[in-house]
Order: sequence, then C-alpha cells, then structure tokens
Amino acid sequence: MKWMRCHGGLIGGLVLLVIALIALCAHLIAPGDPLNMVARPLTPPFTDPRFPLGTDHLGRNILAGLVHGARVSMTVGAAAAAAAISVGILVGTLAGFSGRIIDDALMRITEAFQTVPTFLLALALVSVLGASAANVVIAIGISSWPPTARLVRAEVLRLKGADYVDAARLAGRAPLAIAFLEVLPGALQPVVALIGITVGEAILVESALAFLGLSDPNLISWGGMVANGRALLRTAPYLVVLPGIAIAVAVLAVTLSGDGLARRLGILGRR
Amino acid sequence: MTYLPKEFLRGLPAVFMASALISTPVFAQDTPVSGGTLVVANDTEPRNLNPAIVASNGVFYISSKIVEPLAEMDYDTGLRPLLAESWEASDDGLSFTLNLREGVTWSDGAPFTSADVAFSAMQVWKEKQNIGRQIFRNLDAVETPDDTTAILRFSEPTPGQLIENALPAVTAVLPAHLLEGENLDETSYNAAPVGTGPFVFAEHKPGELYRLTRNENYWQNGQPYLDQIVYRVLPDPGAKAAALETGDIHVTAFSAVPLTDMARLDAIEGVSVIPGGYEGITYNITLDFNHRREELGNPLVRQAIAHAIDQDFLVDVVFLGYATPATGPVPPTAEDFYTDDTAKYPFDTARAEELLDEAGYPRGADGTRFSLRLRPAPWFQQTRDTGDYVRQALAAVGIEVEIVTADPGGHIAAVYTDHDYDLAIGSPVWRNDPAISTTILYQGGLDAGVPFANQWGYDSPEMNDIIAQGISTLDTAARTEVYKDFQRLAQEDLPIVFLTHFTFITVARDEVRNVANNPRWATSGWADTWIAADQ
Repeated sequence: MKWMRCHGGLIGGLVLLVIALIALCAHLIAPGDPLNMVARPLTPPFTDPRFPLGTDHLGRNILAGLVHGARVSMTVGAAAAAAAISVGILVGTLAGFSGRIIDDALMRITEAFQTVPTFLLALALVSVLGASAANVVIAIGISSWPPTARLVRAEVLRLKGADYVDAARLAGRAPLAIAFLEVLPGALQPVVALIGITVGEAILVESALAFLGLSDPNLISWGGMVANGRALLRTAPYLVVLPGIAIAVAVLAVTLSGDGLARRLGILGRR
Repeated sequence: MTYLPKEFLRGLPAVFMASALISTPVFAQDTPVSGGTLVVANDTEPRNLNPAIVASNGVFYISSKIVEPLAEMDYDTGLRPLLAESWEASDDGLSFTLNLREGVTWSDGAPFTSADVAFSAMQVWKEKQNIGRQIFRNLDAVETPDDTTAILRFSEPTPGQLIENALPAVTAVLPAHLLEGENLDETSYNAAPVGTGPFVFAEHKPGELYRLTRNENYWQNGQPYLDQIVYRVLPDPGAKAAALETGDIHVTAFSAVPLTDMARLDAIEGVSVIPGGYEGITYNITLDFNHRREELGNPLVRQAIAHAIDQDFLVDVVFLGYATPATGPVPPTAEDFYTDDTAKYPFDTARAEELLDEAGYPRGADGTRFSLRLRPAPWFQQTRDTGDYVRQALAAVGIEVEIVTADPGGHIAAVYTDHDYDLAIGSPVWRNDPAISTTILYQGGLDAGVPFANQWGYDSPEMNDIIAQGISTLDTAARTEVYKDFQRLAQEDLPIVFLTHFTFITVARDEVRNVANNPRWATSGWADTWIAADQ
C-alpha cells in the first residue's frame, strides 16, 4: 500500500498520458469513421489481424470504437469537469467572500443541487436539452459543481481574515478584485485534490448517459458500446467487457493522478 | 452464426409445417391436452386494450385472445370463419352480407347477435378505428334482418376483396349490450375488455403482467386448451432470452430477443426458433424523404440515394438474413398483389454519384454534397441499426447524415406532425391488402398529424387516382391489376424507398404446440394452443 501511495500518482499519470495520446492519434490508429460497418458482424477478438479486438453486432471495428471512444470520453469528461469546477469556484468565492445574505442564498442553492443525485439531475437535463455532446457537457457541469463550491467557500472563509487581505482592503482595492485576485489563488490548492475525482465522475456519468442512449448518436462512446453489447452478453461478452475495462482504467488513471498531484502539492498528507 | 437461406423464408408456410414436424419428438403425444399456464413475454404495456379502436399489433397480441374478429387468416383456405360463418359481396359492391355463427355468447353470458356487429361497424370501426376509418368510410348502414345476419350497406361501390382481406385486422366485434351509450374513449371497458374469444381478461398488474383465463363458455367445443395466459412485461431483450432458457417464459414473439442470439437459442435443447406466422402482418423498413427539402424534392436525388443503399448488406448484417430485400411497397409473400415488374435501383455508388452530379449537387471542396438529418424510428433495434447503415452508405456518395434520436412520442410528433426531419427510417406494416395500411403511405392531401401515413410532402394526382381506383374497382382481377400499377408508379416516383420486408421470428419452448400455425399467429386467438405435459 505504501508503494502504491508513493507511485500511484506516477502510474496514473503515465496511463493517463497514454490514453490521451491514443485519443489524440485516434484517426491515425484507426482511420475512417468508427461507426462504419466494415467487417463480418461479431468477429471475436484476436482472430482477424485487421480487427484485432473483433467487431460488434453490425460489423463495426471494436478497436476503432475504443480509440475514438477515448477521444469522446476524455474530451467530454475534461470539459464537463472544467465547467463544474469553474462554476464551483465562482459560486464558492462569491459565497465565502460576500456578506451573509448572498452567502446564505448561494449556499441554499448549492444544497438544493446537492439534494438531487448528480446522475439523476444530469439525466433529466440531457432528456430536456436533447442528446448532443455539448448538452452532455452542460448537464454534467450543472449537476456536479456543488462539492467544489463548498470546498472553495470554506477556504475563502479561512483566508478572508488574513493580514494580506486586510492590507489589500486598506489599500482600497475593489471587493471583487480582492476576492478573485487575492483570496482565490490561495484557496485553489485544495481544489486540485478535487480535480481527479470530478473528472473521474464526469467520465462515469458520460458513460452512464451513453449507456441509457442519451449521448450524441453520431459519436461513438464507451458507454454506448457497453449498451449496444448488453443484449449480447451471453453470445459475445467481449462487446461489454472491452469498453468496460476502458472506462475502469480511464477513471482509475484519472483518480490516481489527481491523488498523486495533490500529494505532491502537500494537500494530502504523506504519512 | 447461421444465415438462413432466403428460399427458406419464402416458402414459409410449407417449410414451417415440415420443421414443426421435425422438431416434435416422436414419443410426444400429438393429441392436444387441456390445462396449463402459458407464459409469454410482452414488450409494451398498452393502456387501451380495445382492438376495435386501436388496431395495432401491440394491442392485438393481448386482446385478440379476448375479443374476436369475424374471420382469421389461414394458411390453407385464406380465411377461416370465426364469428362469421360465411360472407358474400353483392355484384354492385353496395352491400356485403355476413352470416353469423349461432350459439355464441359473450363471456358474461349474454348472447352474441347481429346487433353487436351493427354497433361495432357503425360506431366503432367506422368512427373510431385508425384503419377502419378508411375502409368503412362509405359504410351507410348495417341491416340486421335476423339475429344471425348482418348486411353492410355502402354508399359507394366497395370491393368485396378489400372487405374480405380486412376481416382479420379490423373487425373485432364489441358487445353492444355493454357499450351502447357509453363514451367509447373513456369507458373502463378499454382497460378490461369483454369478448367472445377463447380467453377472459383477468387482471393487469402495471409493470408486471397481464393475466387472461380460460373462457368456459367458448363456442368452439373443447377449446381453448390452456387454462391461463400470462403476459410478463419484460422489455429487456437479454432478459427475455434468459427467461426462455430457464423456462420462465414459453414464448417470445415479434423478434423480441436479439437476432444475434437466435443461433445460440436454437441450439438449446427444448427451445426452437420459428420463422413464420407473420405473413399477414409483415413489417417493412422504409427510408422516408421529406420532399419539402429542396434536394429531396428532386427525383434524381431520391433515386441516387436508393442506388447508394445496398439492400443485401442490410438483410445480411442488420437482419442476419431474417428479411428480404424489397422491390416495392408490397411484400412477395402477398402472392396475389405482388409484382416484380417495377423500376429497380440496384446498389451502384457510381450511378448514385452520377445522378447527384446530374441533379446539380456536386461534391464540395470537403467532398460533401449536402447534409441531411436522419430520424430512425426508435422502437426496433433494426430501425436504429438501419439508420446507422444509411448514414454510412450516404457518406460514401458525399451526403453527410446526422442522426437525431428521440423517444417514440417525440419521433412521431417530429416526423408526422411537425415534419421536422430530412430522412426518416419507418416500419410500416403490410396488412393483407394494399388499401389497408400501405396506400396511405402514398396518398396525397392528408392532414398533418396522421401518423404512419404520407407526411412526406408528396402529392401526385396520378398516384391519388390509382389509389382511388383501388378502393372502388369491384372486379377482383381488375383490382389486383390496379395495385400492380400502384407498385410500378410507387417505384417510379419513389416518394419513399421500401428497403426490406422484415420476417419476424417467434422463439418458443418445444412443449408449446400449434405455434405459428396461421399468418397472423401472434395476433390471433390461440384457442388451439396447448402445452405438452412431458418432454
């Protein structure tokens, strides 16, 4: 366990780097549209060198699906987490730095969002907005900002009374400038610890939405691949297992590297 | 994976009978035995179970066991009498006489008479039913000289062939003594129908099951054989396949298990895959164009798109051989009406590109000619998969396709009411006569909102004229010829493309007997279905 604590971040980071490279080079590894039907349906993995991981029920290349799916999962995951963290930082800073009324109002809103499970909220939003990649990002962003907001608020509250903040105030700087330029940078460090978790969760929610058929039908995604293969679990289990492994590995890599980064920055104790 | 040879599918009735004999173990008794509960899988939960109002397969699947039509389809004789023993059309096409069966009672004990037929025809089939509204448009009155005779009187000549072909699907007879004076849209009857059929409605547990029990007063002596039919609500295809294997359910109909699982299921001892029993309710897969879109209003573009699609590929990959490529709106299993003599658009991407160039849509700098939005009907795996294939096939000739998905309600509203689509994948049903549910896909001048009908923006006087002739030509031979012209014009104008005729599959456990023994088996009464005791 100690070894894992020391090197987990490094391993996670390396795996993440590999996944990112694969996502970037998807069009080189598997040229063409990954949704095209290119071979005999249900070719098992490791039987045809042209389609090393086999094909699905419509003869689509699974390897192409996985590498192009990496692109979708990573982009949507990163974009959604970025959206969630930005909203969280904004709300958290405003709430922490403003007076009681705004703080109370923002925190009650945050709690209202927290009472609805993240996934249900994202599900409802995508059903209303329509299934497209941009809407999935928006939906995940809207449904997963509260933890960041609460964390940032707590940090801002802690730093608000610091001497350098008082100094800035006495120097006559505008309150918003103090909040975002003086207090916020100091409050950001713990947020780094949340990045891994937020991105990991965003990837999971994206996959779950795709599994339920609520993702852009014109893009291939790991969750969608699991959904398509589900009916054939008995006949061709690899259709579910391969993208399932991809999701698990990606989420693990993201979480480990987020953890490692936080440790390195001294936010989480080394013990 | 086993691909079924196409000839196998064509000669369905005969071959099916043979295969049924082969799959029956020699030691099993072949005399029907009474008793037992048949458990079948059900996809959807229709709220309105009244088959005389909602003529759809999802409703028939359950209610055809409770409420009977006047006649049912039959492999040997064409039609098998049920509530009507015989019928005759007058030479002038203005009347159609039905001689009804004597001694039939409703499951509540009241006698069945010609008054029930008169009530159903005038107030339900003609007024309320999605299909009947077309066929019985000119029905003026129903005379009932005695309890077992009903004479349909038409204001315009109506072909006897059409009425005959319509008997199985549109003439479910409702009990006048329970419904006269009721508000037919609101009545509790629609959730718990009463009929003359072999089974009686017992209960509906939402999300779980429908249960029907034996009608002790059924007119056919000794039938039904089953004590009960339970419809288990099981929307998940994988769960259905597993339940069949374990014996939790006996039958799945309408290809409810994944086609890719068929070979595996067929290999299991005690489970059989049965293609057949759907010839009278063949589903078709169509590619529907929105003619309001400038490019798609151009016949050359529509022909090019037809040339760009490889129907054999669709049949092999999406349908795993459980379908036939279409040559027009009538399936070849409809031997009377079908003609092969139509314009063909064989798979030829070079020809497709030529036609698109000729139409004035050359490839742009990025290789794309124009972009279209495609809405595949969401209800079958095969309609969605066909959409994926069409997207790929059109990309090859420079047409970019974006797939737009919606739930069933949203899809129907978008395509048939709002016309908010460029291309759509549809699944219209062939019902034994072109006038019942096929010509409406070509009929011009329909109101927006009429579903599963021509909402494409296609309105051809010549086509409308042929369709009008079809419902007024009395001579059967002449009428059949009219529909051959209809197929020729449909393929020439190509307002929509019929891609494949879908052969549904029943998967059943071997102890269930008399499966798929008529062309509408899943939507027929199942009075003769029985379960063999020991296997």
